[in-house]
Amino acid sequence: MKRIITIISAAVMLAACSKKELELNPFNQIETSQAFNTETDVNLAILGIYQGMRANFYVNSTWNVIGDVLADNVIISSLGRQTLTTFGDWRYNGDQTIALFAQGYSITRRANAVLENIDKFPAGPFKDNARGEALATRAFIYFDMSRVFSKTFENATTADSTMAYITSTDAKQMPVKESLRGFYQKIVRDLTSALPLISSNNGVGRLNKSAVSGLLSRLYLYMGDFTNCISSSNAALGTTPVLPTRTEFPSVWADLTNNGVLFKISNTTLDNINTPGVNYYQTIGGLIRSEYVCDFTLRQLYEASDIRTSTYIQTSLWNGVLQNHIIKYAGRPGQVAGVVDAKVLRTAEVLLNRAEAYQRSGNDALALADLNLLRANRYSPYVPLTLSGSALLAEILKERRLELAFEGDRFWDLKRRNQPVLRNATTGDRADGTGVRFIFTTLAANDHRFQLPFPSSEINFNPGFKQNPGY
Amino acid sequence: MSKKLLFLLAVSLTCLNLFAQNRVLTGRVFDADGKPITGASVIVRGSKSGVLTDENGNFKISVAPDAKFIIINSVGQLVQEQKISNANELTIKMAPADASLDEVVVVGYQSLKRKDLNGSTSIVGSKEIAMRPMQNFTQILQGKAPGLQVTGASGQPGAAGFLRIRGTGSINATNEPLIMIDGIAVTSTAFSLLNPNDIENITVLKDASSSAIYGSRAANGVIVVTTKGGKPGAAQIRYSFQRGFASLQPLKNVSFMSAEDKLRWEYEAGLTNPIIDSMIRNRRGVSLPGNATLFNITDLDRTNLWGTMVSRAPANWLDYYLQNGKTTMHELSISGANDKMKYFFSVNNFDEDGIVYKNFRNRLGARLNVEYKATNWLTTGVNVSTAYAREYQTRELFNSQAPWTAYFLTNPYEPVFLPNGSYNLTMLGFSALEGQDRNTFFNNNLSTFATGFLEARVQKNIVFKSLLAINYNTNISESYLQPGSNLAAILGYNQKTDGGTNDFQYVITNTANWTKTLGSKHNFNVLLGQEFTKRNFYSYSLAARGFPTPSVTTLDNAATAQTATTSRNQWSIISYFTSASYDYDKRIGVKLSARRDGSSRFGSNNRFANFWSASAWWNAKNEKFMDNVRFLSDLKFRTSIGTAGNVPNQFYGSLGTYALNVAYNNLPAAQPAQIANPDLTWEKNNNWDIGLDFGLFNNRITGTVDFYNRTTNDLLYSQPVSQATGFSSVLSNIGSLTNKGYELTLTGEIIRKKNFKWSVTATYTNNDNKVTSLISDNVPSANNTRLVVGEALNTFFMVRWAGINPENGRNQYLAADGSVTETYSLNNAVLLNGKSPLVRYFGSINSNFVFRDFDLSVQFYYSGGNYIYNAMYANNLADGGNASVGLRPQYTDAFNYWRKRGDIAQLPSLTDPTQKQNLTSDRFLEKGDYITLRDLMIGYNMPSELAKSLKLKGLRFYVQGSNLFIGTKFRGLPEVGLANRESGTPIQPGVLSLYAYPNTRVVTVGVDVRF
Repeated sequence: MKRIITIISAAVMLAACSKKELELNPFNQIETSQAFNTETDVNLAILGIYQGMRANFYVNSTWNVIGDVLADNVIISSLGRQTLTTFGDWRYNGDQTIALFAQGYSITRRANAVLENIDKFPAGPFKDNARGEALATRAFIYFDMSRVFSKTFENATTADSTMAYITSTDAKQMPVKESLRGFYQKIVRDLTSALPLISSNNGVGRLNKSAVSGLLSRLYLYMGDFTNCISSSNAALGTTPVLPTRTEFPSVWADLTNNGVLFKISNTTLDNINTPGVNYYQTIGGLIRSEYVCDFTLRQLYEASDIRTSTYIQTSLWNGVLQNHIIKYAGRPGQVAGVVDAKVLRTAEVLLNRAEAYQRSGNDALALADLNLLRANRYSPYVPLTLSGSALLAEILKERRLELAFEGDRFWDLKRRNQPVLRNATTGDRADGTGVRFIFTTLAANDHRFQLPFPSSEINFNPGFKQNPGY
Repeated sequence: MSKKLLFLLAVSLTCLNLFAQNRVLTGRVFDADGKPITGASVIVRGSKSGVLTDENGNFKISVAPDAKFIIINSVGQLVQEQKISNANELTIKMAPADASLDEVVVVGYQSLKRKDLNGSTSIVGSKEIAMRPMQNFTQILQGKAPGLQVTGASGQPGAAGFLRIRGTGSINATNEPLIMIDGIAVTSTAFSLLNPNDIENITVLKDASSSAIYGSRAANGVIVVTTKGGKPGAAQIRYSFQRGFASLQPLKNVSFMSAEDKLRWEYEAGLTNPIIDSMIRNRRGVSLPGNATLFNITDLDRTNLWGTMVSRAPANWLDYYLQNGKTTMHELSISGANDKMKYFFSVNNFDEDGIVYKNFRNRLGARLNVEYKATNWLTTGVNVSTAYAREYQTRELFNSQAPWTAYFLTNPYEPVFLPNGSYNLTMLGFSALEGQDRNTFFNNNLSTFATGFLEARVQKNIVFKSLLAINYNTNISESYLQPGSNLAAILGYNQKTDGGTNDFQYVITNTANWTKTLGSKHNFNVLLGQEFTKRNFYSYSLAARGFPTPSVTTLDNAATAQTATTSRNQWSIISYFTSASYDYDKRIGVKLSARRDGSSRFGSNNRFANFWSASAWWNAKNEKFMDNVRFLSDLKFRTSIGTAGNVPNQFYGSLGTYALNVAYNNLPAAQPAQIANPDLTWEKNNNWDIGLDFGLFNNRITGTVDFYNRTTNDLLYSQPVSQATGFSSVLSNIGSLTNKGYELTLTGEIIRKKNFKWSVTATYTNNDNKVTSLISDNVPSANNTRLVVGEALNTFFMVRWAGINPENGRNQYLAADGSVTETYSLNNAVLLNGKSPLVRYFGSINSNFVFRDFDLSVQFYYSGGNYIYNAMYANNLADGGNASVGLRPQYTDAFNYWRKRGDIAQLPSLTDPTQKQNLTSDRFLEKGDYITLRDLMIGYNMPSELAKSLKLKGLRFYVQGSNLFIGTKFRGLPEVGLANRESGTPIQPGVLSLYAYPNTRVVTVGVDVRF
């Protein structure tokens, strides 16, 4: 008996288990079915879209440098860590481009989830704004993805294709490519649908009405639709375009003012992502050691009277050699080096879009006015230009290059205009033009490498999805 | 060769045939120590009559004229057959029986005698473990059990290795066997903290018959570790000391260019490095012309510049990036037993300085195992141990912050220090040495085991056992970017990050075991049990910035808090199990087992699964008719079939989820984390095994042969989805694979004399891995590999290299259609049939000599059939015009570049910019075959008389060396596990070599004293 009691009591004490013990749930996640129950949930999901834009595309990535590395604005420093050489040398293959593809879709997936769930909520400004933001962020990403992997609208034919414009969260879809021009029409449709819905008061850290107009201005310029480009630019800029003054201009890059910024991706000190700065350089022993320095030819285009010269470029020694280091992403004063917001849409660009659209639609006078408006806020002493025709267009494009240099715009802009990349073959990476030169200097306008290869991982997995020609 | 020799030797020894006469024989029987044996039975083979030896070991026996053998039998001694010769007076020396056969091992929730184990198991006893100066146990297991493949993760002190029993059976789910220590399943971290000398034995369960009862976690085999108890007799006090000296195991088949060679090579490549560039600039217009460049100055000037650089450089950067490794071990143990109590107590301290600059690990541990017989039917006991390890880790990644990587990136002509005495940041812009000094990383592990049990014999034939086992592991890591350090200056802030994990696990097991023998020949054994396991994993990470001075290291000294995060995971398993075995007279037997497991890792539809096994064995030697087959001393056949399961690594793998651990603009946000797969189910394993154990010539030659086939169905895998879905994969069950193979062990006791013993054991395992079905024809996988039906798991998929074109010095590749092209395109990547990172064969050769008081043991380990992508080799070999990689150190092979038309070269032209990159291709895919002298030990045991005179029970000195030799064609070192620690576990261990902590060569001296 004693034996039995001992056993039973031990067994009862120890065997306290039931099937309920198997029902364990995650502590930091919620089930997808529970992710869109309240307006708060929708807000979380929308901020998640921007978080994706920060973490996966515009801040913690090479976005702010890749469009310059691929083109002629920067030259690799022979004294740097030799980053991104496969891009600078145009030798990329499908193993190196996965980020801009997969990460892009990971962001549009978030927008699609909002759009699939938003009809649960009652009509009203909250619903409209949420739908507007989701549509606009989706269009924003798809536009940039197509700039990377495909021809642009103007240099494409109806035969040219691009990736799929995915609008659902179906996890089983195996998309094939679709027409590039159709893809652009979908971007237009999303943005024009978003425009009446989205609020004007979302702040510059989120898309808002004027930012959507600004993006439409860019889009229509790429499509060669100058009328719509001008009207969208007008909507984005308002009657008096807000441009930072010369004095304010450096503060834009130190995140001290939002003047002139239509949309930026926030990168707080807590986020602590120094990639924007590190893409260009690191500071070692108080000296700048660059990955990429300003190309000699471009440097000669920056005049001493131009506020951008000192804001963008610092000529200083590394290893005893003077180089033109790019300091546009130096960081916020007193904060961690290289940690700054990504200014992805600025009024200056929209102004230049409009100037170009005016000029190319035959209105030199208004084009010149826009150009001079920008110049007046950049140069001191400032002398208004009086140009017309192709000389005026060339000057607008030159201002565009100077203004948007080191923001990852140049390569896509050359592609848009069907221009080759022509690098200076005789100058090197030092401030005096000597030093190690470009190995490869020309990328012809029709070269297949203007369209980056789709990731081989997708090609290998999804047989219906064909690689771009030439790879 | 050695097998044949062994066979001949053994045969010749047993064929000393002499003629016999009819007479009375007298003799004396002694044991191995020369003491007479009392009560040994002596019988004449073939007759029923026999005699016993008297108290002096004497016997007298009458033998018939045709009698050829007498058989001597005594408890604890091997049965001895003695040929009857001319001599009438015999002196018979008995050899001690292998006491380990009576040793008790805990397998399948019950204690069994080793000789009653009828499955395919390998036992590693304490003798093979004790005093092996190995940093941890996974290494100790290497080469000890056929079928068990051990790959060291890296040379990092304390790094656990990868264990594979009978091949790789999973992709996503763990491939590690279930490791049970005193009744609780543990992680490899906890496993590596265990003191090897505390282990009584390790049983490796390979087939279904022994492992199926462990159910859902036994798919990859089970390793059961039992720690020591006391042995009957007076207290035994033992002290051991070891001191080891570690150095780098040299890289094979490669060498770096010297400083002079590298400068000359750069010149040939048309490269100007920044140092010589600044030297020339400083001398322009002084000692050199105003327009001087490296390429227009005189040879003499150039040689002088090079000479100046070389004179400033160290003889070898390795002297700085590495240090002299050193190990020191002290251990004290006390054990004993009487009829009421058994106990084992030990304390140990193991200090290790790794070979990488500043790296160390100190381990401190204690254990107390006590078993107490409370009444004649009730036994209670507890095993408690705790171990603490503190380590200073080095960075281990593919950049210049890791000292070992930095060695491969630092040019030999760069000085270590600047003229002002500070570290030279070198062309890398970072000094790994300064980083090791000032960016400290401490890691502290505390691991506690406690197993308490109650065992009651409720009836004569029924034993009830209740067990509660707890394993509690904590880890605290402290990573400090000290104020004033170079990295802090680069980043613009100093920061300290304290992270930690609490890993708490418990298991409750209740079993009832009924054993009964009917009619003295029918043996029954039935076990019923129930088990509950729960694991709770909690971690945190805290970071703060703005420390005033490096000497303060707690976060309250920081100016600003940066991050504070925690996370938690849990899982649980509920199990019911049973086994029943029957045998007839130890001749033939069968066993059945079954288990039902429920796991929290699956959705409610697939939560429970059943596992089973059936096995049978036949001990032919115990049959009467085998008595006349005298050369066979042992023969046993066995076979088994059964299933086991495996769960995903993910805790909540079936759920579609949103993660809330992200923020935007410092506001909370949500991001999709995982795609739902409600159909997710168990990975299931079907095993069959057929095997045979044999002994020949009085067990002079013993061996084991096993054939097995292990099929895994419903393979768990992160199945790729189109990236357009916003995800890359979803956890799914995607197909099946098989591991088919055989294992051989052959032991020859070549010399078995009292003062001279020599035995050799060879093992060989062959494993063929093959994917047998998949959801689609081929599934891309990581590290340039694929899953393809009919091929081994993770077969390489790459562009094929076709040498250097002798015409123009350019790389050539094979297009998919087999034609040669100079264009590199990923479209030309093909499956490289038969080339996968999986090892196809491995084994060991062990030899033990004992000569009087000296012993010598040698272990070779070999492994092969696998391929490794040699990224380390690729990285230090520049292809033409490669300014970026050209300024890295180069292997001397880099001189073998194309110079002129017609050259057959290894590398392309140095000056052709189109050849600037060495791209991923099978050019750097190399065979991983090797053989290594893993272990060599020479020992001396003081004769007991001499020891007694020193008032000791025993004294042993020894010298041991590990990794003294390796033979391989691989360029570098082929023992690749992790690519490197910080890049995480690769898709398969050994798929890629990428600067993991280097392997070491260690020489250890030790002393072991018993009081």
